[in-house]
Amino acid sequence: MDSLHAIGFYVSSGVSLAGALGVALLPRRDQRGVGMGIVALGLAGLYVSLSAAFAALLALACYLGAAWLLATPQYRSLESVTGTAWRQVGAAGAAGLLALLAYAAFRGDFVHAVYFGGELGATALSRVVFAHDALATEAIAALMLVAVAGATAAWRVRERSR
Amino acid sequence: MSVFFVAGGLVAAGAFAAVWRRDLTAAIAGIPLMFAGAGVALVGVGRFAAAGGPHLFGQAFAVLLAVAAVALIALGLGVAGRESSR
Repeated sequence: MDSLHAIGFYVSSGVSLAGALGVALLPRRDQRGVGMGIVALGLAGLYVSLSAAFAALLALACYLGAAWLLATPQYRSLESVTGTAWRQVGAAGAAGLLALLAYAAFRGDFVHAVYFGGELGATALSRVVFAHDALATEAIAALMLVAVAGATAAWRVRERSR
Repeated sequence: MSVFFVAGGLVAAGAFAAVWRRDLTAAIAGIPLMFAGAGVALVGVGRFAAAGGPHLFGQAFAVLLAVAAVALIALGLGVAGRESSR
C-alpha cells in the first residue's frame, strides 16, 4: 500500500468509526441516519484504498439506502422488554468483543501475497459473483425479495387493521 | 493489521448499538455496522493475504453482505410499521 492509499485508508477508518459511534450513541433517528451515511462514505473510502472500487460503489449505494431508511420519520418505536441490567451486560460483552478482536488483530498478520485484481475489478468481480458464487448471489437475492415482500405485507396488514 | 483493528471496531460498535439501544428500530442499526466490519475484514484479507486465484472472493462477499444489511434494515423497519398506523 503506497502512501496515498495509506492516507486514504486511515482517514476513511476514522470517518467510518466516527459514524459508527454516532449510530450507536446519537439519540434521534435522523442523527443516526446521518451517522449511517458517514459510515457509508468511510466504508467506501476504505474499500477504494483496498483496491476494491467497484465493491465500494455497491456498498455506498446499499449503506446510503440503509441510512435513508433509518432517517425516515415514518417508523414507530418499539420498546425492548430487556431490562437495564441485561443491556449493561450486553454492553460489557461488546467491550469484551472489542478487546478480543483487537487482541486477535494485534497477534495476527497476513500471509503476504501479490495482488493482481486491479483498482476497479468490476469485470473480474462480476465473474466471481455471477459464475463462481452464483448460489450465494441467488441466496442474497432471495433474502432481498423476502425482505421487501415481508415489509410490504406487514405494512399492508397494519394499514388495513387501522 | 490495521484492517483488522478497523473491522473489529466496526463490529464492536455494531454489537454495542444492538444490545444497548432500548428502541428495537434503533438497535437493528447495529446490524449493518457489524456487516460492514466483516466486509472490511474480508476485503482486507482478499487484498493482502489471498494466495492464488483472482483475490476477489473477499470483495464478492463484502458486496453480498452490504446487500443483506440493507435488506435486513428494510425488513426490520417494515415489520415495525409506520408511525401513523398505530
